[in-house]
Amino acid sequence: MNDMFKEIVKNKQVLFGVVVILFMFIVALFAPVLATHDPLELDLSADVRLQPPSAEHIFGTDDMGRDLFSRMVYGARISLSVGFIAVAIMLVIGVTLGVIAGYYGKWVDTLIMRLVEIMMCFPRFYLILMILAFLGPSIIYVMIVIGLTSWTGLTRLVRAEFLSLREREYAIAAKALGASDMRIAFRHILPNALAPVFVSITLSLGGAILLESGLSFLGLGVQIPTPSWGNIISTGRFYIDSAWWLTVIPGLSILLTVLSFYLVGEGLRVILDPRMKR
Amino acid sequence: MNRNKPGNPHSKIPVKPLLIIAAFIFLCLAASAFAGYFGDAYVTGSIADAVSLIPFLSTDSSSHSITGMIFNGLTKFDKNLNIIGDLAERWDVSEDGKEITFYLRKNVRWHDGMPLTTRDIKFTFEAILDPKNACPYVSSYRDIQSVDIIDDYTVKFTYSQPYAPALSKLGIEIVPEHILKGEDLRTSKFKRDPLGCGAYILEKWKSDQYLILNSNHDYFEHRPYIDKYVMRVIPDLAVQFLELATGGIDTMGLTAYQYFYRTASEKFKSKFNTYTYLSRAYAYVGYNLEDPLFSDKRVRKALSYAINKKEIIDGVLLGMGEPCTGPFFKETPYYSKKAEQYKYDKERALELLGEAGWRDSDGDGILDKDGAPFKFKLITNQGNKDREDIATIVQREWQELGVDVEIQIIAWAAFLKEYVDKKNFQAVILGWSLPMDPDCFVVWHSSSAVEGGLNFISFKNEEVDALIEEGRRTFDVYERIRIYNRIHEIIAEEAPYTFLYFPYARVAISNRFKGIEPAPAGIGYNFVDWYVDPGEVRY
Repeated sequence: MNDMFKEIVKNKQVLFGVVVILFMFIVALFAPVLATHDPLELDLSADVRLQPPSAEHIFGTDDMGRDLFSRMVYGARISLSVGFIAVAIMLVIGVTLGVIAGYYGKWVDTLIMRLVEIMMCFPRFYLILMILAFLGPSIIYVMIVIGLTSWTGLTRLVRAEFLSLREREYAIAAKALGASDMRIAFRHILPNALAPVFVSITLSLGGAILLESGLSFLGLGVQIPTPSWGNIISTGRFYIDSAWWLTVIPGLSILLTVLSFYLVGEGLRVILDPRMKR
Repeated sequence: MNRNKPGNPHSKIPVKPLLIIAAFIFLCLAASAFAGYFGDAYVTGSIADAVSLIPFLSTDSSSHSITGMIFNGLTKFDKNLNIIGDLAERWDVSEDGKEITFYLRKNVRWHDGMPLTTRDIKFTFEAILDPKNACPYVSSYRDIQSVDIIDDYTVKFTYSQPYAPALSKLGIEIVPEHILKGEDLRTSKFKRDPLGCGAYILEKWKSDQYLILNSNHDYFEHRPYIDKYVMRVIPDLAVQFLELATGGIDTMGLTAYQYFYRTASEKFKSKFNTYTYLSRAYAYVGYNLEDPLFSDKRVRKALSYAINKKEIIDGVLLGMGEPCTGPFFKETPYYSKKAEQYKYDKERALELLGEAGWRDSDGDGILDKDGAPFKFKLITNQGNKDREDIATIVQREWQELGVDVEIQIIAWAAFLKEYVDKKNFQAVILGWSLPMDPDCFVVWHSSSAVEGGLNFISFKNEEVDALIEEGRRTFDVYERIRIYNRIHEIIAEEAPYTFLYFPYARVAISNRFKGIEPAPAGIGYNFVDWYVDPGEVRY
């Protein structure tokens, strides 16, 4: 673990990613303290609406006279929590199915892998759009639906690891000692298969945040007037050539956050891959 | 050529002025014969694609904007909103008001060259009345007892009882009998491939992308000057504006913000003319009267008093609207000036809620009654930023009373099918565009409060029902004004809707189009007379 920490500090890209992610976390956690205004407080007077960044409103105001900085800070909460809950759902489904498929093999494996292939055939974004159009827009549904549609890649990764790990001597030894299947799979093999899972989690977090922004942009995610980065951009597009801050600031925040998760994911992949070790 | 120019060697020749006068007279004559030049295309943007081009079966405004170009009706409204003949040259109404005889124009041909006759008229109205076709407008035609052909160009409508809106309702577009006879209209390919007798002919329809119409050279009024009418489907007003600015479309309805802040530049002014006029449409918040929360009139009135219409007009439309108090168009006498206005009054709202039993007894800032908090969902459709903004403001205003409102924005198709048609909502923000005749049977009569009907808030009032029926039977204009004023006042008192505003339409049109004459009917009524000078033709 100490080695890993050193590797992270050595790798500039990963370090950058970790710092940005930590920063966003702190912002989300302390949103009520950091916000300078009530993110929902309307002010419809003409000299408050669509004001550029100033000392009073450091990120400017939106078309309803709300303080953009405060909305961004609260929006970070939404974006990060959607990412984490969706990925948690993905993790539970993806790892369980991957373990079962990889450990038992044979027809169980065939069944699960065909299920994975069927899921992968659907264009995910449109599947989500369709489901949300039926259920009605809601942030809870967004988390669940993203989680339920994004586990296929992880299942394949875990299964591939298991296919080779279950033939290792320690696994066979555990079996010879009479350990139950559950114990062998989750206590003995899974810990050795975690490296690609970590990488997948970080990459998926970035993906989930991006997806949430996209859905909120289309009006299917977080409902107005609750702020989320996606729906702030959605409002901002009406004013794209006169109030740049409404699109540029949330746009950059999404870019930075998602990029950081990808950098960390890629970095972890390199660090955790034994073949890449010097 | 100026003959007064000093030193002009020809200035003394007396023939010249005569020639100039002759040329002037010739030009004047020419101008009266050719008001414009042929050519070019008019490209519009539409938020949604058309659905069906069978005029009396479609209910969406995109389809109607296209069928209006392809088909004509017996009557139409002129620029001052008087009823005039369209396919009909003239008509007689019998003494008792039950029989109307139309005399058709004799020079009208369908796009395939067949003459338009009374058989087409009879066929169209029988199709509207045929229950199999489930025409959504059928309630406006139910009183038609028979349509009798007298000869090829004379047709008599007989009503079972006098029906005042008849002449305007009979303006619905006519379809060709010789193409549609024996077809099942609900499944006919005619809805994608229509054949009309109007100014334009459908050339191509690519779903969700564009519709192209070509001008009908044999149109009975005259050949339209603009050769092509194109409707591009651009489902976002921000994108439409970018297309407008870069010449991708020639016209759009601007948002208030676009109108105030994006059209002021010299560059924009040099390319576009903008027209504003009060829309025949209003926005409202509707309460589902079947929901126990809204069954108490005092609650609905309180919610209405808590909405500051001026703040909404300023906030959403930047002032470009007129407050609305009832379901008739403000610029007609049917709109009552005596109806309850619901001027913003928070104290009165709280008082009414208190009378209805809603008090904040547990001190959590939210009103409650019998232990249940005052809480409901407010829905509206996606893609209409004005309505989203209304929702945001109204939510804040009701919150100040202690009412907890959750907003939900739902995609249009699901919004209509799953929520509005099935009455599966508590409160809704929507708008109505108003027909020329004040008859409001389909929205306010209790018999329209069925699933899929337009009275989806389930407003049922016996007095209003009786007045609506009386209004349909009354021809005397002053009597009708009295009836509709009364309907307006009752509905305002009952507060099933909070009526919000009539917005001003803000239309930008490329200034290469000439011949546009804004009038009470708007601007589109004389489209066949619009033209583009030869030097400015773009397409």
